[in-house]
Amino acid sequence: MSALTYPLAHLLGGLVLICAFALLSQRRLAAMITLYQFEAVTLTAAAFWQGFAQHELALFLTGFITLIIKAIILPIGLRYIVKNFNITRAVETAMPVGLSMILGVGLIGIAVYVVLPITMSAVTLTREDLAISLSVVLLGLLVMTTRRNALSQVIGFLSTENGLVLAAIGMPGMPFVAELSVALLVLMAFLVMGVFLFRIREHFENLDIAGIESIEKQGR
Amino acid sequence: MHLACDPLSALFLAILLPQIVAGALGAERRSVFFWAFAGGMVLAVLAAEAFTLLLGFELMSAASWVLVLRGDRRPATLYAGVAMFSGACLLPALFLPPGGIAFSLILLGAGAKAGLAPLHAWLPKAHPAPPAAVSALMSGGMVKVALYVLIRYGFVVLGGAVQPWWGTALIFAGAASVLIGALRAVLEVELKTILACSTVEHVGLIAVGLGVALRAKALGETDLAALALQGALLCAVAHGLFKPLLFLGAGAVKHATGSSSLDWLGGLMRGMPRLGGLMLVGCFGMSALPLGPGFAPEFLLLHAVIAAAGTGGILARIGFTALLAVLGLGAALALGTAVRVIGVGFLGRPRTLRAAAAEDADKPVLWGMGLLAGLSVPVALFPGIVLLLLNPVIAQLVPGANQPPLHYAPFMLALLLLIAAAGTYALLQRLASHGEREVHAFNGGFGKPPAWLPFGDPLTQASGTGFAEPIQRALGATILGAKFIDPGESYVLDPLRRLNVYFTRAAERVRRATIRQRLAFLFAALVLFLAALGFVQGA
Repeated sequence: MSALTYPLAHLLGGLVLICAFALLSQRRLAAMITLYQFEAVTLTAAAFWQGFAQHELALFLTGFITLIIKAIILPIGLRYIVKNFNITRAVETAMPVGLSMILGVGLIGIAVYVVLPITMSAVTLTREDLAISLSVVLLGLLVMTTRRNALSQVIGFLSTENGLVLAAIGMPGMPFVAELSVALLVLMAFLVMGVFLFRIREHFENLDIAGIESIEKQGR
Repeated sequence: MHLACDPLSALFLAILLPQIVAGALGAERRSVFFWAFAGGMVLAVLAAEAFTLLLGFELMSAASWVLVLRGDRRPATLYAGVAMFSGACLLPALFLPPGGIAFSLILLGAGAKAGLAPLHAWLPKAHPAPPAAVSALMSGGMVKVALYVLIRYGFVVLGGAVQPWWGTALIFAGAASVLIGALRAVLEVELKTILACSTVEHVGLIAVGLGVALRAKALGETDLAALALQGALLCAVAHGLFKPLLFLGAGAVKHATGSSSLDWLGGLMRGMPRLGGLMLVGCFGMSALPLGPGFAPEFLLLHAVIAAAGTGGILARIGFTALLAVLGLGAALALGTAVRVIGVGFLGRPRTLRAAAAEDADKPVLWGMGLLAGLSVPVALFPGIVLLLLNPVIAQLVPGANQPPLHYAPFMLALLLLIAAAGTYALLQRLASHGEREVHAFNGGFGKPPAWLPFGDPLTQASGTGFAEPIQRALGATILGAKFIDPGESYVLDPLRRLNVYFTRAAERVRRATIRQRLAFLFAALVLFLAALGFVQGA
């Protein structure tokens, strides 16, 4: 382990966090997808760096999977959906962007506040990495709850999953199987979401779930 | 399942048995639920441990719910709610260690079942609903079983941990019951509802006696406790006789005339003289007149309250003096109720054809009522002997108490009155002028009919509502409000109803939430959990 191990790992984790935070501020789908792609690339770099630092071949493999699936295939699929499904490009938010960003800052505070005291006995690397990962997870959930558009909810979900992977690669000795299964899970979820979006578009001519909400309100 | 029969159980069994016999004579012989109801009451009274007691109590509640359901659905639902509330209070209370919490739960549970003041609003609705024999047993017996639980736990099981405030709470609840019950009894129009409200009043009287006794026991004044207990238990005995009698009579009236509303009755004394006579005996007991069964308990209670006024500070003095006024008001209103029932319902001229054509009740009903009336005569004329029989019970509840003798001998009083009356009669016979004079025939106290009603009209008599009008103006408006709504209804049942609506709406809103709202809810829960975790860890 060189002197560069911790700073670089934290730098990459911080970049992932910034991407997740920036997702919150975006109103356009294209920008959200780009940010997600950048987040996935950063995550890949983090995985490679951890693999190099911990001398784990499995982490290189994780990084490779992340690169292929999340940084290349998923953004292409998402852009395909945006282009071909005739989606309104501007995202309708359920609350003002400024307010949601303030909430996001609060969530990061909570994550740090929770993780740092609990993991007092663990190694420094793991502790701060965990705080960053939990922040990314919470921010992704916040994106899911504050957006009305189904596709941006999907992106929030994917960002949440990135946070989980970030936590997994920071842990020394985490078995590779977990990451593989998580990656597969994301792929499955993405397929399900794709079908789901397709069905919504079939029924409502757009991807705004306000249509479903009104039906839910009337129908019961 | 353990059964035991100590003096307290024996007393309440003795209160229950005549009512059960009378109820069975009065048409409920073949009903399974009636016997389950009666069996539950007997089981609760004879139980030797908490589980059997609760089993009997709940059997009583369930069976009586089915019987109330025979009458009407809405009061039955209300009644089921109250029964569940009291069961839910009693269940933990019977197994808690002796202390204030256990007694509070007992007071809530047994008080709700007995119809004590803040939780009494269900009683005037549920008790009149079922057939008369069941109403009789509910009003005369079930209420007593609830009070039995209160006595058993307040004095015996939790007796070691008794605090003065237990008694004070009972006195407050009892005084409020007396006031509201008596006032509503004199204002209601439906005969069975009148009787149910009067039950609330008598439960209040018993509770006042028990409260004074409990407070005195906690303060170490055993003689005062014995005096108050004498009043309370004698009141329970008397009420257990005349209230079922009146309910059976009300049922017979409804059977004969098709209505039990005072405004549709009148003149029943001619059509049903035997029933009328028995009702007169019952009303005599209800009104606490001297020489009636209700007088001795009232007398003892007033004595106990006067004695209790000397046992505390200035607040107790003021409070017990006010209590005297409340008891006096209650007695006066009860007298008004009795006069109104007899005067409007049984005297005067019939207001409807059915009331005019009423015939006397069936033999078995009259036998049942006669049994209760016959038993109330010794209670009325020899209360001293009844008190002697109560001695072991009081010795069990308040060990080491000297029981004061009763300074009231109705039998001698009655004898003296009889002699005086006979003497006056003889004197009048001797001294009166024996000449003859022609006068108009007495027309029953009616005024001359107005010009536009030359033949008179029974509907021009004072109605039940009209009779109560002065009391409604003087007291009803201040205590019950302009709209004549029971405080127990407006301050207890209505808020509960509103709470129910509120929670139903909240649940419906949760059920109708959109995906995003549910997600946000879960998310908020997660964040709150994390924040709590961080807070705990940080501390």
